[in-house]
Amino acid sequence: MKRAIALSVVIAALALISLPVLGATTLEVVWMGWPKNLVDAQIEGFRKAYPDIPVDIQLVPFNQLFQTLEVRLASGHAPDVFIVDGPLTASYATRGYLLPLDDVFTETELAAWFPSSVAACRWNGRLYAAPYATSSVGLYFNKTIFRKYGVALPSENPGERLTWEQAAELARKLTIDENHDGQPDTWGLILEQSDRPYQILPLAESRGARALSADGAVSEGYITSPAFIEAATFYSKLFNEWKVSPKGLLEAPVAREYFGCGKAAMMLGAEWNISRLAAFKDWEFGLAPHPYFAGGRAVTPTGGWNVGIGSRTANRDAAVRFLKFITGRDASIAWTKLFGNAPARRDVYAALPDVFKNPMWQVLLHEMDTTASPRPVTPGYLQYESILKDAFNAIQFGADPASTLESAARQIDRDLAKYR
Amino acid sequence: MFREPRAAIVFLAPALILLGLFRVLPAAVSVGESLMGLATPPTAASEAIGASINAGVGAAAGGPTRAFVGFSNYRHLFTSDPVFWGSARVTLAYSALASPVTVAVALGLAFLLKGSDRRRSLLRTACFLPSAISMSVVAVVWGLMLDPYYGLVNSLLRAIGLPPQPFLNSPRQALACLIAIAVWRNSGYWMMFFLAGMQGIPREAYEAAALDGASKSKQAWHITIPLLARTVSFVLVSNTAFNFLTFAPVFILTKGGPIRSTNVLVYESYKSAFIGLDMGRATAISSLVLAAVLLLSLAELRLTRPKHEY
Amino acid sequence: MSGIPSHANMNRSIAVRLAGTIAREGLFLLLAMVYILPVWWVVASALRPASSLYQYASPLTWRTFVPSSPTLSNIMGIFSKLDFGRAIANSALVSGAAVALGVVVNSMAGFALAKFEFPGRSLVFLAVLVAFIAPFDAIVIPLHLVVSRMGFLNTRAALVLPAVGNGLAIFLFKQFYEEIPSEIIEAARVDGASWFCTFWRIVMPMSIPAAATVVVMLFMFQWNSLFWPLVAAFSSKYRVVQTAIAMQITADEAHWAYLFASAAVGSLPPVALFLLLQKHYIRGIAGGGSRSETAGRDGVDR
Repeated sequence: MKRAIALSVVIAALALISLPVLGATTLEVVWMGWPKNLVDAQIEGFRKAYPDIPVDIQLVPFNQLFQTLEVRLASGHAPDVFIVDGPLTASYATRGYLLPLDDVFTETELAAWFPSSVAACRWNGRLYAAPYATSSVGLYFNKTIFRKYGVALPSENPGERLTWEQAAELARKLTIDENHDGQPDTWGLILEQSDRPYQILPLAESRGARALSADGAVSEGYITSPAFIEAATFYSKLFNEWKVSPKGLLEAPVAREYFGCGKAAMMLGAEWNISRLAAFKDWEFGLAPHPYFAGGRAVTPTGGWNVGIGSRTANRDAAVRFLKFITGRDASIAWTKLFGNAPARRDVYAALPDVFKNPMWQVLLHEMDTTASPRPVTPGYLQYESILKDAFNAIQFGADPASTLESAARQIDRDLAKYR
Repeated sequence: MFREPRAAIVFLAPALILLGLFRVLPAAVSVGESLMGLATPPTAASEAIGASINAGVGAAAGGPTRAFVGFSNYRHLFTSDPVFWGSARVTLAYSALASPVTVAVALGLAFLLKGSDRRRSLLRTACFLPSAISMSVVAVVWGLMLDPYYGLVNSLLRAIGLPPQPFLNSPRQALACLIAIAVWRNSGYWMMFFLAGMQGIPREAYEAAALDGASKSKQAWHITIPLLARTVSFVLVSNTAFNFLTFAPVFILTKGGPIRSTNVLVYESYKSAFIGLDMGRATAISSLVLAAVLLLSLAELRLTRPKHEY
Repeated sequence: MSGIPSHANMNRSIAVRLAGTIAREGLFLLLAMVYILPVWWVVASALRPASSLYQYASPLTWRTFVPSSPTLSNIMGIFSKLDFGRAIANSALVSGAAVALGVVVNSMAGFALAKFEFPGRSLVFLAVLVAFIAPFDAIVIPLHLVVSRMGFLNTRAALVLPAVGNGLAIFLFKQFYEEIPSEIIEAARVDGASWFCTFWRIVMPMSIPAAATVVVMLFMFQWNSLFWPLVAAFSSKYRVVQTAIAMQITADEAHWAYLFASAAVGSLPPVALFLLLQKHYIRGIAGGGSRSETAGRDGVDR
């Protein structure tokens, strides 16, 4: 009897695990792990317009996204459509994972996006993806804290942009140890992505440095240039000398908690904070333009997600339809309303005056038009970013900027050599 | 012992087929891959480079520019890799501390909580709770609790008059924090194995000792622990492997930092494979890890071979 | 003369016993705090209306641990908005299947290694050892290839089959069976029972304590897997619990309330399983279990 039960359990288990696979015509889409209900709401229009194209949206948690794509692409089980982090476009294109899209979009269609967003989809003169989202960064400040300590608010006018020297001075004034326990209760300035090149490269560029050689193959002499090292030294001082920034605050969501809870007077942060910071209570915040180094030029981060089609897709037509839908005007409008990050299409800004006439958005729109500088384009971006991030991390914890960057450059150039 | 090879094969077959297909074969492929590398640095069109990198372990077609390079991946690791030895030291330090501490705490918990009264039963469940919680959440929770500025642990330290600590921010404390988190998360899980092992000890052994007037602690030392040798060896071996292969807490909490102080080998190998796209280096590192754990396990098995049979 | 010292002795022994009790109770309390507090924080955060995280972490107050207006809205939200129910069902299905198959397959292998002499025995044992030591991240790409060549990529089988054979479980069963006297097995064989019958009727029923441990072990191994499901059964309809939990953290956002709610709910099944099976770990110890329950084992031990 016992044996019969156990056997039937085993047989039932075998039957359950070999349930049928997806139909061949189902469109597989690997997507960033944004909330399922929001993504479903966004693509409802597609499901209505193309009821004969079943779509399987596979949401992957951000921390696992690149590794998941890497395994699936490397073993030949690429999805039909997948989301591509902007700077990785060249890497995927070089390795033949992305379908060229030159004949998919007309010049007029391409003109709908920011030119820098379209540029981030090109590699070696061909178009490999379509822009989905972009981004911009500004200096958020806690008006309540500024007023409490009688410090004048930074101007929101791009013409009166703070220099980094002024911003650091403000940060020193507003790093406050109320209860004298040797540890600030309010930090002067936090960086939302405190060791990611996305947010730190513009500091160096503002000093006049370049992040990488024009052919994307050499970092020695660029990230080790005097201007770059000066910027990295300034970055180091924020944490180690002036101590206006907390060390080890590496996760953007936690940085936002710090700022939203009044534990920091200023935060260098991206556009998505505009809607999210509104959720915190009993305070007022504003957004000033991104600071720049005196004598240098204003530079702001930009770039975001692209969408590509797997080069081996068996559903090319359906994939193109989906790509055009998800990067199209209606879906972008829907996503902007649902989620609140910066769309890569210019027509969305015109379509949603209620959202974008907000003065904070106006600051960022000005930056996107005038000061935005995309990250360097190289097929080795993964390596470049990872090594540089480790270097910034070490500098944040007190390592010497010059020698750390020199050793990072050696490592990066060895890794980039294979693309030369 | 029975000498019936045919029966033995029938009993072993399902497990061996599954393990062979899903563990040993991939591990062998991975070791094989560590002997491969780019034959010549490609100079042709970018697509060709793509194919060669693409050829990693995965590409079904196999890239034309990849070739057998013998032990050169290993030679590079040993002689000129700037990170490898530091990473090896971190890995050794981590497992040398985490394994014995986890085993000791788990064993202590098992002794303390082996009764069947309600309170012990509740505590047993409490100790098991951490291992049931998703690792990504454990990392987030401890990351927040150990926040050097506003974290719960520092709040507690300050409340009892101790100075706050930098924890994960300090190259000297970060590894110890990871070890503490590992002990917290895993000791309840391994306690379960010790409880199961104690269950197999015949009661007569205790009854005889009690008649001889042996105290509880004497009984524990002279009866339970020797008779638990098999379990101890099991837990020690699996724990060593477990700790040597630690990845998730490093990946989520410290990313190997600050200043590479928690850069364990498996994380370094992961970075090589999925960021550096250098399968040769990645598999060379993981093959070395595999060899090291295998040797350690065999040594532990020999050392803990049960001396008291009953 | 003798009455006074003995009185003092008695007092002292009461004092010692009292000190012992206090020390033990203190230890229990400390243990409970250390193990439960972080877990309780997860639960409290899951029950708190979606809001700021740091607001309650510092300074430390009782509100850090007691939500002032507890709500079930986060827990309802993960089911209604994020389809968490399906993730639980999927994980339960594949974990259950892996456990059912795994107990049978691994106990058979453990039995063979414990009780049979055959050529290549130590080689097989080495393979078992390699199987549980092989670093997953190193073998994930070749493993992915094997699974896809066998044609069950993106099925539930791709999640279950690689998790069935488990070196650790074989090792555990092997150690357990080594303690069973061979005479019992011989007796069954003399009675004319086949090997399969002997194993199924005599050996398996004795191995319930080991099997209970292996059940929890295999279940947790499968329940906690995050990365393999993402690459092996990627269809959204196979989404598992850990994926659903990890999705609450992205580069730019962490939905704290849903993160903690899904983590709290997602840890209930393993805990329930532990509660269900823990009687097998403690019976027979310190007078807890009844004699009749352990009769089978007692017969074995001598």
